[in-house]
Amino acid sequence: MKTLIPTWAPRLLLAAAFVFSNGLFAQTQADDPVSLVEQTTGYIFANVAENLEEYTANPDALRTLVRNDLMPLLDVDYAARLVLGRAGRGLSSEKIDEFSICMSNLLVNRYSKGLLYFSSEVNLQVLPQRGDLNEKLTRVRTRVMLPKGGSAPVDYAFHKTPEGWKVFDVIVEGISYITTYRNQIMPEVQANGIDSVLARLGSGQLELAD
Amino acid sequence: MQKTLSLLSIIFLSLLIAGCAGTQNRHTDPENDPWEGFNRKVYAFNDGLDKVVRPVAVGYDKIMPDPFQRGVGNFFRNLDIPVTFVNQVLQGKFTQSLDSLGRFIVNSTVGLLGFFDIASKAGMPYYNEDLGQTLATWGYEDSRYLMLPFFGPSTFRDGMGRYTDSFIHPVGRAIHGRNEWGLWIVRGIDQRARYLDQDAELNQAYDPYVLMRDVWMQNREFQIYDGDPPMADYDLYLDDYSDEESDPEG
Repeated sequence: MKTLIPTWAPRLLLAAAFVFSNGLFAQTQADDPVSLVEQTTGYIFANVAENLEEYTANPDALRTLVRNDLMPLLDVDYAARLVLGRAGRGLSSEKIDEFSICMSNLLVNRYSKGLLYFSSEVNLQVLPQRGDLNEKLTRVRTRVMLPKGGSAPVDYAFHKTPEGWKVFDVIVEGISYITTYRNQIMPEVQANGIDSVLARLGSGQLELAD
Repeated sequence: MQKTLSLLSIIFLSLLIAGCAGTQNRHTDPENDPWEGFNRKVYAFNDGLDKVVRPVAVGYDKIMPDPFQRGVGNFFRNLDIPVTFVNQVLQGKFTQSLDSLGRFIVNSTVGLLGFFDIASKAGMPYYNEDLGQTLATWGYEDSRYLMLPFFGPSTFRDGMGRYTDSFIHPVGRAIHGRNEWGLWIVRGIDQRARYLDQDAELNQAYDPYVLMRDVWMQNREFQIYDGDPPMADYDLYLDDYSDEESDPEG
């Protein structure tokens, strides 16, 4: 995959977040997608279950956890380009970076809320890797066991970057975050322009979940 | 029975005609939705209907305790199993069809008409099949999106499948045979109550119609492939971004 946009901006933001972290991300860096999912989600779920009260009272602390331990696993720049699609044509790289930062903030918020909603007893089962592994693109399939019984299938789409495997899409019950979000964002950017969308994203109005 | 059905077809037909007369506003990415103009009209109709249905569902959700709601959900899911069974046979999934048959027998008896999902507790697998999925596995893979009045998102294929399945579905049989709509209404309210959590998300979307369509179409593909659909073609999304002239009208 050729990189079309500079990637320093979101990373700078993440680096800033790291300064305030308490050094929790000293996990061993496995570099196969299945281990990455197992380690990261295992760690985050356990941490949330342990500190549920604190996180409920102080969602910012939970957001910090997600930002430090989950976001480095995500390729938000790539996701942003997929979402913008043809609406990204002719945009300056600064605008695309800005959009990518907005998206990463949205993802942190959304994921944090999800963690609180499912709260404690969430269990995750990572299904064995199957045939669709490829040198550049693969999918890790998991089942999230819900507290009320039943399970939700959650897949993570990975692609290989110079910094190793990164997630760029999450697919819940077959519903791809990228595909769905893209069909909302692309027409809006084409109709109203990127600045209007960025303004909305920045003000939190575009946050899909309540 | 005839009267109600003909009333439905009149509503349906008038919407169809209204749809054809309307402008086709296709400002979205073309999923398989050539009837978007018509579909948006039906969507608006259903949305209007929801002004009545939603408050009832909210009330139901408030009044009924969770275990009761789960029981009602189990009850209706159990009633879907005969349709699943027949379609598993049609798809050649014989072993799975026996699982479904066993599940239906256990839940209908020990599970007190399906209110208690004993089968799942005993580790019996749950499957969901219908004629739309059967037609898809037979090769009718792509079908255009079709918004049905009352029933909501569907495709042309799945709409036909749904109608045909209704002749073996217990609720469908009650409607066809004795003009008994009670169960159908209760099921509608129960199902609507299950989607209340998603309302905020839908309402905040830039284009709720497109959000509902995309979510439904993707989830439907997920069902057709029994939970293992092929990955989206992400490269195509990227080509869209970088190639000046590419305009994939799918």
